[in-house]
Amino acid sequence: MAAAPEIVPYSQVRHDLWRPLAGVSRRYVAVVSLLLAITLWGLFCWGYQLREGIGVAGIRRPVFWGFYIVNFVFWIGISHAGTLISAILRLTEAQWRKPVTRAAEAITVFALMIGGMFPIIHLGRAWIFYWLIPYPNSRLLWPNFRSPLLWDLTAISTYLTGSTIYLFLPLIPDVAQLAQHATGWRRRLYRTLSLGWTGSDREWHALERAMKLMAAMILAVAVSVHTVVAWDFSMAIAPMWHSTIFGPYFVVGAIFSGIAALLIVMSIVRKAMHFEAYLTPHHFDNLAKLLLLMSLLWLYFSFAENLTVWYGNEPKEMNVFGVRTRGTFSIYFWTMVFCNFVVPFVLLGIKRLRSIRTATIASVAVLIGMWLERYIIVVPTLAVTRLSSVSGGYSPTWVEISITTATFAAMGLLYLLFSKLFPIVSVWEFEPHPAEED
Amino acid sequence: MYLKGDFQDRSSAIRALRELQADGFHAADIDVFSDEPLELPRGVLDRPSRMSFTVVTGAVTLCLLTIGFVYFTQYNYQLRTGGMPIFSFWATGVIFYELTMLGGILTTLACFLWESGLFRRKRRIPVPVVVPGIISIRIHCTENQLEEASRCLDRAGANQVGTIGEPR
Amino acid sequence: MAIDLDRCTGCQACVAACHAENNLPVSDPESAAKGRAFHWIRVDRYYEGEFPEIRVKYMPVLCQQCDEAPCEPVCPVYATYKNEEGLNVQVYNRCVGTRYCANNCPYSVRFFNWFDPKWPAPLDLQHNPDVSIRMTGVMEKCTFCIQRIQRVERSAKEEDRPVADGEIQPACVQSCPAEAMVFGDLNDRESKVSRLAESGRATRLLEDLGTRPKVFYLQKAE
Repeated sequence: MAAAPEIVPYSQVRHDLWRPLAGVSRRYVAVVSLLLAITLWGLFCWGYQLREGIGVAGIRRPVFWGFYIVNFVFWIGISHAGTLISAILRLTEAQWRKPVTRAAEAITVFALMIGGMFPIIHLGRAWIFYWLIPYPNSRLLWPNFRSPLLWDLTAISTYLTGSTIYLFLPLIPDVAQLAQHATGWRRRLYRTLSLGWTGSDREWHALERAMKLMAAMILAVAVSVHTVVAWDFSMAIAPMWHSTIFGPYFVVGAIFSGIAALLIVMSIVRKAMHFEAYLTPHHFDNLAKLLLLMSLLWLYFSFAENLTVWYGNEPKEMNVFGVRTRGTFSIYFWTMVFCNFVVPFVLLGIKRLRSIRTATIASVAVLIGMWLERYIIVVPTLAVTRLSSVSGGYSPTWVEISITTATFAAMGLLYLLFSKLFPIVSVWEFEPHPAEED
Repeated sequence: MYLKGDFQDRSSAIRALRELQADGFHAADIDVFSDEPLELPRGVLDRPSRMSFTVVTGAVTLCLLTIGFVYFTQYNYQLRTGGMPIFSFWATGVIFYELTMLGGILTTLACFLWESGLFRRKRRIPVPVVVPGIISIRIHCTENQLEEASRCLDRAGANQVGTIGEPR
Repeated sequence: MAIDLDRCTGCQACVAACHAENNLPVSDPESAAKGRAFHWIRVDRYYEGEFPEIRVKYMPVLCQQCDEAPCEPVCPVYATYKNEEGLNVQVYNRCVGTRYCANNCPYSVRFFNWFDPKWPAPLDLQHNPDVSIRMTGVMEKCTFCIQRIQRVERSAKEEDRPVADGEIQPACVQSCPAEAMVFGDLNDRESKVSRLAESGRATRLLEDLGTRPKVFYLQKAE
């Protein structure tokens, strides 16, 4: 474990953590404008797709699902950073979580917003997406609750509601304090958001109780959300989708990529906001170990998934297995194995190599690998159908690539704006008592 | 009438709370203000909570409502798909699960707003300004009790005792 | 429906007839190469033996109208469901375009409108008025020429008589020069298609998936 940090007075903590909120540097404006431009370009591409038809994307028969679904699964996976990690750590009362949770929960909310957009972007007639919502309508028809897509809709909206509340509740004491010190529109914003928080013991009690309950429930929801995303695939009778392992496999993959995203965000925040005293190597070390653990779990699941298919030697499954590991998609497959297992295993498994820098590099590799994993799952199964007469490759068009890029920019943009408005490290939770560091 | 006492440290605040309650002040009339959560030992200013129970009730309620709603909608316009029965419990189970959780989550939010008093705040009650590191105890008392209460606070080591009347 | 594979010559007349009857968009070579072509019925080719001792087998594949269709339960808006006659129908107006049904169809007989349909002149003048034109973003597939079924049923009702066996002919059946395709009521045990389905020569495509297709392929028992 890292050396115990020295006790920092509370006023100093608050001063340090509030510092990034004040003022806007030229670099900040430049980055925000760049990200905004990319995001707007993505929105323009989506508008173009709405106008011309979904055919401007590279999807085709029989590969009816492409980049959009890959991105959907990817971003929903990233969203497991926050809630799962912070909820697990909260429930197990791991004290080192405290500076990490807010950063993680914010990732969750934003990744969910972005991920939740993709099923809509992906629709052939996106302008009537609300037909999936059960409301009394002129069609005299309710949605089909048997469809895994309806499961998705309820799961994701529950998760988004839950994780927004989960992010918001521990934010209240912080904005209440900010409201006392801020001026102008910020004061009004913070005061509204603080709901009139006074810091009485009733409020603290209620907050703590609510957070315990929320942590338990959000954990249950988070596991179910990615299970349901997996079931979108495994409920179909397509070869190598129709697999019982998919639920837990996807949950593990989601936590894996979530931790990677959290590590990347944390190392950027640490550098950009000079939070070296708060996000210590100790935190990175713990998260890196978690990442390594998830990497091994991911390997175990992937191995179990692929070995059973290979050994079973069922022709239809083997066709898909073949293009995945030896055929057109093999380059992606083996890159995925390299990124998801070899890189983290070497960089984080060897203690001498493990550092903030290598943890960040491994995380980037993991994000690439996990994106490819979703691609490997979605596309080859569709490209190789049950009847050999129908098959087809898939290559994305500039529209899909632009929209994909734009979502990464949108994530950065939302995060930058959030970190300018709210302290990215929870101030009141940050009790600098070294005795509590495990 | 409200009386306020400021304390530098947790132990003297706890001492004051013990003395106040020994002198017959009711827990409902006492509030403690601090800028970080204050962990009080059991028996000192317990705040009984029904949050867990209410949350479970809320979750179960929304679950039952959802089952009823799905049952109603599927029989309202009967369409068969894929050889499944009209109302398919297993194929809609995920929805019930998610809505159960949503019920729990929303009830938690409601419980939080209610139990914390944020939702039923009375504007007239004065609130001491929370200074970092200081623990303030506020007591709601009649004029006759005022002296006794301030003696309790003084004995426990409050460095500033006084009535507060002006709302923040 | 029953299709006699021993009779099928692979002439593709059914494909052309289907295009004309059901207002299918006509694809140019580029979009066909992109996998955007529409053929509600297609003729699959299977090769047996080594060149030059090669035999080609043809198999027209259309929507199998499965009794337990995998495409149906996955649709979130009931755009595809089982109607009272047992047809697997697609409601274009209801479709939002998730394309899940097409992924779950083991026969790959579902087609998606990637753009608004276009016809080169003069094909735009020969639309069938009985069949709606599908807009961008909706799924479509073989309907067993439901417009023809309804027309016959309507006139039979007007004349107060039962529908005669063989009276309903989807476009593919009507156009088959080898008379390889037979359409009829599978619930009527006396109909020609029922007798063919029970003749012992009948198999169904990917029957082991448990989809219970309603298209029977007849071929010589090996």
